[in-house]
Formats: sequence, structure tokens, C-alpha cells
Amino acid sequence: MLETFNFRVILEYMPLYFKCFSATLWLSGAGLIGALLVGTVACAMRLSQSRIVSLIAGVYIESIRSTPLLAQIYFFYFGLPSLGIMFSEEVTGIFALTLNSGAYMAEIIRAGIQSIPHGQIEAGIASGLSYFQRMRYIILPQALGVTILPLLGQGIVLVKDSSLLSLISIMELTRAGQILTSERFMPAEGFLTTAAFYLIIYYILKGFSSWVQKRLIFREAY
Amino acid sequence: MITFSNVNKWFGDLHVLRDINLSVGAGEVMVVCGPSGSGKSTLIRCINRLEQIEEGDLIVDGMNVHDRKVNMTQLRAEIGFIFQQFNLYPHMTALENVILAPTKVRKMKKDEADKLGRETLKRVGLGDKVDSYPAQLSGGQQQRVAIARGLCMRPKIMLFDEPTSALDPEMINEVLEVMVNLAKEGMTMIVVTHEMGFAREVAERILFMDEGQIVEIAPPEEFFTKPKSERTKLFLSKILTH
Repeated sequence: MLETFNFRVILEYMPLYFKCFSATLWLSGAGLIGALLVGTVACAMRLSQSRIVSLIAGVYIESIRSTPLLAQIYFFYFGLPSLGIMFSEEVTGIFALTLNSGAYMAEIIRAGIQSIPHGQIEAGIASGLSYFQRMRYIILPQALGVTILPLLGQGIVLVKDSSLLSLISIMELTRAGQILTSERFMPAEGFLTTAAFYLIIYYILKGFSSWVQKRLIFREAY
Repeated sequence: MITFSNVNKWFGDLHVLRDINLSVGAGEVMVVCGPSGSGKSTLIRCINRLEQIEEGDLIVDGMNVHDRKVNMTQLRAEIGFIFQQFNLYPHMTALENVILAPTKVRKMKKDEADKLGRETLKRVGLGDKVDSYPAQLSGGQQQRVAIARGLCMRPKIMLFDEPTSALDPEMINEVLEVMVNLAKEGMTMIVVTHEMGFAREVAERILFMDEGQIVEIAPPEEFFTKPKSERTKLFLSKILTH
């Protein structure tokens, strides 16, 4: 089998892979930052006292979580232009990843906030701390410890999901595999190389995740 | 200091406080007892508006708690509240727990708050535990940190909601001792508890509640020896025979 596996062609396509690797990195990086922002805001809205605000966030979170990402990408890519809203492929792609992952992150953050026992919040209220002071000093420092690992896990999912952007002709890692396959008819070489690059990103994020776990989470034995 | 006039409160259909009329003076220590579900916790939780009241007036330190315009931060800063479950912040040391509100609500300087925090922890017998996290402390120690946290705000009133009910028996006394000292120093205190020894020693009056109503209020001597209502007699016979 190895005799037929063509390493030379992989080397030949390396410049394309590096270009696409960096595209995957910045598309998912942008999506990750966007998703954290959207997720935080959506979570704050979901927990709002106002029923309307909470409902809007609920509809967003539920509709994203109940539909496939590919359908969402197609909607943004084909659907929105037909309604007269046009963006470039990259912007559409980042937009789709942000909105998709943001909904999951909103739920992760909500779980983290709600894991703080209500008694502590009452203790904060009783001592005169404002809503923002309670968030800042009591809830968020503890919620961060609970949510950072699931959030990084969601980040890894986001990177892998970015492969779907190849279907709206964005040049990213999976697209590079498709190009090698279609130009040279070498799918094994093409997609194994693609997979290897995802593996690199995965290990970087996983390494970061274990570092965080050791360093940032609670100083005390819990 | 605290005046309830015709206070009523419902949880849905449940009428938890019925026509409460009560006045607690400055420096007074009042013990509240009664069967579970009688509304005694709700009664004291209304005082710093952890619960809203639906009817009547509740005046605390000259402020109407029921009035939406009242500055609750200012009012709550004057009232220490001690919970059954301590409710310490687990990610902070004992010292950080007690100085959070003084620095953030009272805007006290860090070094000043630090000094006050250490002194107050010493006062509750925990001078050597300033850097311990709650998880490293026993229940009795945690509750004393919680009391110190309340005291660091230099409150005019301290409210205790069953402060010893979650404690192992051998830890109850160390908490009660702190409370007795506090009472002797002239703090205005309302204490929901079934520790009748404590009530006998420091309470000026004991209030007995049942089904959301005040059944009886009397000085300890009278309360224990000649209770007026049958309901009180029954309750006392149940908790005092063992």
C-alpha cells in the first residue's frame, strides 16, 4: 500500500495546504471570538428578568441548536442574497460559525452561572452588593472555572465544523483536500493531509486546555 | 428600629405572613421560634427585602422597605444576615470573604478593610484562619466567618436564620458563644432558632409563630413557665422534653 501512497504530490501541494491552513486558523479564530461574544450576550439575555428579552435569546438558541449547521450555512450563503443581503464568502462563513457556536456557548455559560448555589447570590444581595458586583466578584470567577473547559471543547468543535465552509467554496483545509483529489485523483493523500493539519490545531487547543486546567482553575482544594 | 404594621405576604396561594404587627427596639434581642413552615424565616427575610411583602408597612431604621424608591443598598449595608447554610464564597479566603462588601459597598480602602477584617475574624476566634478557604474550615468555623462577614459592615441590625441548624452538635456552642457576646455588646438582633438555652440567656422577648401568624410574644421567663396559648404549650412540650 505504501508504494502507492504518493508523498511527493503532498509536498508539491504544501504551499496550497499552508495557505488553506492559515485560512482555517483565521476563520475559526474569528468565529471563536465572535461566538464567545454572541454567547455571552445571548446568555445574559436568556437570564434577563424581562420575559421578552429572554424569549428572543431562547428562540435564537433553540433554533440554532435544533437545525444542522450545513443548512444554516446554505441559508446564509444562498438564502440571504436572495433576500437582497450580500456578503463575501468569508464573512458569510464567519457569520455562520459565530451564530452557530454562539448558541452552544450561551448554554455552556448559562450552565456555569447557574451552577453557583443561590445562597451565595443571596449572601451578596444581603450585604448590599449590586448585580454587577455580584457577577464580577462572586459568580463569574467561579463560573469561569466551570465553563472554560467546555468552552474550549466547543472551540475544537468549531474548528472542525469550519470544514463545512468548503461547501460554499471557501479556500480552507478541507477544500485543499478536495482540490488535490480532483486535480490528481489522489483522495487518500489529499484528505489524510487535511486531517493531519486539523490534528495539529486540535493538539494546540487541547494543550492550551490542559494548561488552563492546571493553572487557572481554583486555587483551593474544592 | 424595626416595625411591622399589618404586613401580609403570599407565596402564590399560600398565605405565609398574616397581619404581622411587631416592633423591635434598638439593642433588643428577639428570638423567633415555631414549627417549620410557620413563616419565621420569611419574617426576617422581609426585613432586608430578600422577600417582598404584598401588604402593610415595614419600617427599618426609618426607611420603608416596601417602598421601591428606598435605596436598598444603603439599607442592606446596615443589616447583617446570617444564613443556615453559611453561604460563604468558596473561591475566596476567610479574609477576602469578610472584606468584599466593606470595600465594594462601603468603599473602604483596602488596607483599612484588611485591618478591620483581621480584627473581626480575631473577635470570632478565627485570628489564625484568615488565609483559609471555606472548604478548609469546619461548619462552626464557617458560620463564624459568616458572622464576621456581617459584622465587618458595622451593621445596626443582625438577623440570624437558623444559624446553628446545619451544624454538628459539638460545633453549636462556638457559634452561640459569638452570638451571646454580640448580644451583650448591645447589637439589635433577631434570631430564628430552636436553641432555647440561648433564648433563655440573651433574649429579651421570644416570639412564637404558627401558620404565618404571631401566636405569642413574651419574655423568656413567662414564655417557658406560663405560655398563654395552647399551641405554644404543645410546641414547647415537643421541643423541651428531650
